[in-house]
Amino acid sequence: MNSSSSNSSRAIFAAFLSLLIPGAGQWYLKSRWRGITIFGATITLAFLINWGLDNFKIGQIVAGGVTTSWLWIVFVLFAAWNIFDAYRMARGEPSFTGLGVAGAAVILYTLAWNVTDINLDRLITRLPDAAKVARNLVQPDLFFQDDAGAWHPSENFGDIFGRVEDQPAPEWLTRWGLVAEDQKVPAYAAGKLIETIAMGLLATLLSTILALPISFFAAHNIMARLPGGTIIYYVMRTILNVVRAVDTVIWGLLVIVWIGLGSFAGVIALTIHSVAALGKLYSEEIEHIDPGPIEAVTASGANLFQVIRYAVFPQIIPPFLAYTLLRWDINMRMATVVGFVAGGGIGFFVLETIRKGGYEQYAAALWAIAVVIIIVDYISAKWRERILIGETKVSVAAPKPFYKSPRAIAYAILGIIGLVYCWDVTRIDLRTLFEPAPTFVRLLYDFVTIDLTPDIVEIVVKQMIITIFQALLATTLGALLALPFSFLAARNLTGRSRLSVWIYYLTRFVFDVLRSIEALLYVAIFAFWVGIGAFAGTLALAVTTFALIGKLYADAIENIDMGPMEAVMSTGATRLQAIVYAILPQIIPPFVSYSIYQWDINVRMATIIGFAGGGGVGLLLSTYFGMLQYHKAGTVVALIVIVVALMDFASAKIRERMV
Amino acid sequence: MLKVEHLSKTYPNGTQALYDVSFQVEDGEFLAVIGLSGSGKSTLLRCINRLIEPTAGQVVWNAIDITAAPTSELRNIRRQIGMIFQQFNLVKRSPVMTNVLSGRLGYISPYQSLFNYFSPEDRRRALANLEQVGLSEKAYVRADSLSGGQQQRVGIARALMQEPKLILADEPVASLDPVLAHSILKYLEQLNKERGITVLCSLHFLDLVHRYATRAIALKDGKLVFQGLPKEIDDAQFKAIYGQEAERVSIV
Repeated sequence: MNSSSSNSSRAIFAAFLSLLIPGAGQWYLKSRWRGITIFGATITLAFLINWGLDNFKIGQIVAGGVTTSWLWIVFVLFAAWNIFDAYRMARGEPSFTGLGVAGAAVILYTLAWNVTDINLDRLITRLPDAAKVARNLVQPDLFFQDDAGAWHPSENFGDIFGRVEDQPAPEWLTRWGLVAEDQKVPAYAAGKLIETIAMGLLATLLSTILALPISFFAAHNIMARLPGGTIIYYVMRTILNVVRAVDTVIWGLLVIVWIGLGSFAGVIALTIHSVAALGKLYSEEIEHIDPGPIEAVTASGANLFQVIRYAVFPQIIPPFLAYTLLRWDINMRMATVVGFVAGGGIGFFVLETIRKGGYEQYAAALWAIAVVIIIVDYISAKWRERILIGETKVSVAAPKPFYKSPRAIAYAILGIIGLVYCWDVTRIDLRTLFEPAPTFVRLLYDFVTIDLTPDIVEIVVKQMIITIFQALLATTLGALLALPFSFLAARNLTGRSRLSVWIYYLTRFVFDVLRSIEALLYVAIFAFWVGIGAFAGTLALAVTTFALIGKLYADAIENIDMGPMEAVMSTGATRLQAIVYAILPQIIPPFVSYSIYQWDINVRMATIIGFAGGGGVGLLLSTYFGMLQYHKAGTVVALIVIVVALMDFASAKIRERMV
Repeated sequence: MLKVEHLSKTYPNGTQALYDVSFQVEDGEFLAVIGLSGSGKSTLLRCINRLIEPTAGQVVWNAIDITAAPTSELRNIRRQIGMIFQQFNLVKRSPVMTNVLSGRLGYISPYQSLFNYFSPEDRRRALANLEQVGLSEKAYVRADSLSGGQQQRVGIARALMQEPKLILADEPVASLDPVLAHSILKYLEQLNKERGITVLCSLHFLDLVHRYATRAIALKDGKLVFQGLPKEIDDAQFKAIYGQEAERVSIV
């Protein structure tokens, strides 16, 4: 009796606290994260409703002479739910979290729908235009048929893959007297795709070399042993996180001010972002090494260098290699788009075809990219698997040293030739790095003294909110579409009939092709279809989301425990019933986790789709850069860093708590 | 002779792991160190080769004060003391041979060893030591492809590369099943008897202590609570070491 009355007075107190400050009651009841989340959500929702009303008149109603938004009604319901939630929690009764989430969702999606310019009727009314693009996509300009009916590679094919043409002879040929002074010889001129591959390879190599030493400074277990090391550790980690938060394409904008347009600028932009990403992954790997071997080697009387050589290196080299291969895959993808701003590789080519309206040439480029990226993706995954699982084959004899194995020597020579060729194709010129253009100094100065006048901040914040909403809508749309398809792409569920095996391969193939092309490259299609703007960008993002998340979902389904399925089926349930009762409970947590992760990724992606006419903060950034207003551009970049870092932190925290 | 005098260790977080521990080990002894988990056995063994720096007290070995040795000399001392670990502490991705050879690092020039160069004589020695533990045909496979018992034998071969006069074995059989436990301890016994290597070995099970040790010491909460012959550990002693709740169990 007594305890129940104190319990109910406690509940009323908690509810009262939540009435005063949303989330305070939950905080008081020791649900700290819930309290903070509710508090943060309330403030954010209120701000957004007000912002939406001011800027876009979202949900505007006039009631009794007062102009307001009907979203405030939902907001009040949300606040009421928060009080009710605190009350139920204090009484130890289950609360309805879903209600609160639903309320917040109604507000967020209403805002998102309006600010991203969703205009569904355009999808229908402009369908004929879309059909034209679609026809071009399936008829890429790669080959043509001459009068005799024979097929030849087209001019466009040569632009993409390269062609053999007469060029001035290289110096060494004339010096050795093999050809005359001004004689031309046939030589292979690299196409834009080859240039792109070279960019991705070089950036991966350079960033691996640079990230290696950096990662040791960003590893807590190493730095904690040195005096003042902890401070260096925090500084390094902060720098890595800031550099990583800025997309490669945005780095491209900065780099071209430094060294000018070209594929070299692309390589540098890719390298900068890649160093930060690899540095973080490497340092986390160093932090997780097994201390046992270090102890054992130290105990045998080895000195510090020997300990690093024999106990640390063997442990970190395989995972480092695996991360480098993963990064190679990512760098190749980014290399296809960095040219949009940096002016090199296939990205620049795509930009030009779009400008000229050459959709058949554009289609050819997309197909070429898809082929390359699918191959890279496959090789990278296979090699990673081999490195991490390792070869445990028994060999009786001692392995030959490297310099005695002809195969290893052949690989080394091929590698060096490849490197020199890549260096040549991308026109690497390290001297320009040390002779930056005069405007670059101004850019650095302007980036330190960014423009914080309220007008500019308001404009930038507005575009940033649109960007985040684009990412939210694209994630939702893509994930909902991917859901049914992911079941078709999961081998353990599709069954063994010939038809379902075909469906499996077809779905996987569609996922692989769609996900091999970056959202930025899709924007042109949708800009043509529904017009330039945030809607086109959102649709482009939704396509990549569909493919990326579809694959992740399908992999998650393939990894589930089939035991429960067997058990439910054995009770005489149908296949559908078994999926609902045995599969769904296992896959909902990873699905939600992947969706949040994808939103995080999409926010980064959404910051750049504006470069291709996809709306959001990217358009603003390229405008400011184009007008040389670097201190305003600095404001945009600063806000991007803050938002991306926050998203990264929040999504990691949420996913951590879900597992 | 190894003399441990008034050894104490307090960790930076305030845990006192060893409290004024003193004992002596004659050359050629097989000394078992017993006690509950957390009683300070691992700390004691690691204080002897200074993998852990003791807070107070001395460790004197053959008239050399290990606790006072400068870093350069410590390397020379460590290479004469082999160590065997509960979790084997092998570099799992490296071949068995490299793991065994790493026991020789204290003897060779750091610059040579950076390029994985070991003299042909060291390589022969490594193969001989692998032969000794019955693993010569596994020399070039990756360490993680071996079973637990085999990995611990690699650990012994690595310690043998040091040509040790003393072996510290920290729970060498706690991660292994009983049959393997006997096989590992038999190798240690063999080294102790045939090569005259002094062995300090922490053990969990009393029957293993009875079977292999020539003498035993016991720790409880960081204090030395027993030293003597294994057979002297009677029921009263046993309860003093392991607590009133404990029951004697035996393995195989």
